[in-house]
Amino acid sequence: MLLSVEDFGIEFHDHDSPERVVEGVSFTLDKGEILGIVGESGSGKSMTALAIAGLLPRKKLKKEGRILFEGEDVLTMERHKLRGLQGDEICMIFQEPMTALNPTMKIGLQVEEALRIHHTEMNDAQRKERAIKWLKNVELDDPERVYESYPHQLSGGMRQRVMIAAAMVGNPQLLIADEATTALDVTVQAQIIKLLQKINKESQVAILFISHDLSLIRQISHNVLVMQNGHLVEKGAVDDIFEHPQQEYTRKLISAIPRVEL
Amino acid sequence: MKKWLKKHKNFNFIAGAIITGVLLLTVLIGIFATPYDTTQMNVADKFAKPSFAHWMGCDNYGRDILSRVMEGMGNTFLIAVLTVLIGTVFGVIIGALCGYFGGLLDDILMRINDVLFSFPSILLALVIISLLGTGRLNVTLALGIAFIPSFARIVRSEVKKQCSLDYVKSAALMGAGHMRIIFVHILPNIMPVLLSSVMIGFNNAVLAEAGLSYLGIGVQPPAASLGRMLSEAQSFLFTAPWYAIFPGLVIVLTVLGFALLAEGTTEEE
Repeated sequence: MLLSVEDFGIEFHDHDSPERVVEGVSFTLDKGEILGIVGESGSGKSMTALAIAGLLPRKKLKKEGRILFEGEDVLTMERHKLRGLQGDEICMIFQEPMTALNPTMKIGLQVEEALRIHHTEMNDAQRKERAIKWLKNVELDDPERVYESYPHQLSGGMRQRVMIAAAMVGNPQLLIADEATTALDVTVQAQIIKLLQKINKESQVAILFISHDLSLIRQISHNVLVMQNGHLVEKGAVDDIFEHPQQEYTRKLISAIPRVEL
Repeated sequence: MKKWLKKHKNFNFIAGAIITGVLLLTVLIGIFATPYDTTQMNVADKFAKPSFAHWMGCDNYGRDILSRVMEGMGNTFLIAVLTVLIGTVFGVIIGALCGYFGGLLDDILMRINDVLFSFPSILLALVIISLLGTGRLNVTLALGIAFIPSFARIVRSEVKKQCSLDYVKSAALMGAGHMRIIFVHILPNIMPVLLSSVMIGFNNAVLAEAGLSYLGIGVQPPAASLGRMLSEAQSFLFTAPWYAIFPGLVIVLTVLGFALLAEGTTEEE
């Protein structure tokens, strides 16, 4: 077992009255598993993902429960230890490939960032070799050219591929994809999904795939969590959830998938 | 070069570059050689009109004005550059830390900033000079300190804006430390804004230095300074108008050149 979330909750304290955004969420994630989290906006799925990545602010926020990554609690871990995990063991890709890359840094440097921080023993040539290898792995044409490009010279789909390469370059155990395909058009979406599946098979990285798009979740996930208003509504294998939903909310969500009828 | 000019019909940039270039060249020449000794008095040449021998004429002690303008420009440029350097370095550090970390540190530093900001920078510089005493070094220090608040404020708001973008989050997630995020990731992205405020800051520094020297607390005689020359020329405005015109013209050209250059660089983007 790679990740185990136990009775996790978040309470905001930045207003007069505390506000609960996540409550009593428990689930586990195995090595090499793809877990989909589905829910509408405000259901707490992104907050949970940020917590797992150790990106929640430390102040004005009360956290409950435990998030065990390889047996150690991310929530209470010391800062330098957490930083050792981030980028090396846990990686994340974001929704907006337009803003997720630094506009003034060459792609190559950004892909190498995790190596530069965590693998100081590597020299420039080794780093470059690794970066190019991953740019090739994410199926970018002409990786040498992309390596020397700036983000504005690439399309949205290419940028998201670069993000995946940058996340995977350190061979992490866990990849969190927070609405990673939402900003892309449908054909590119399908390519990215295929790419994530391929990477999952080849390098056995566990993927936490967060989306509000049920058909994508169904396509990619092994197991699914359904969240609503900060609570876990239902969890199970992807076929069980979609074929035999137990909860009313899940049924409603599934019936809301648009169908093309001829 | 010709192609580049054709492609960028950027009048402001070209005009600014030419004016600034000529002035800078003059300053550079002035460091090594001036037509006459800048402090050599010569009674025979007292209030000599502009001529081939003395291009800008002579002052009340018979000193060559062109030579003194060259030296004065050098002093002004040096003080302005150092002032902006002090203002930028400390402004960037304070602004970046405040913008990035926020919280109590931000509140405290920015309130101090507000207090400093509420005084005109020349007044602030006056206070600092009255504490430190006059002289080139002290003027630079005083103006530099007086320039920190405006830079800090600009940098802070830019850093705050960048912090909300995903690439900063992404860098944090890669395990990058705070200092790496601030100085390697964010700083290059605020360069365009920083660059134009540096240029405007340089202009303000030139004017502030001239103002302080005019008031007699900047560069001390017999060293030449444009502001000082203006204030001395005041009493001879009708007998020797060239004494006031040429130093004044140089100040105007310096500021104009840099303003055009700043305008031009923002157009380029």
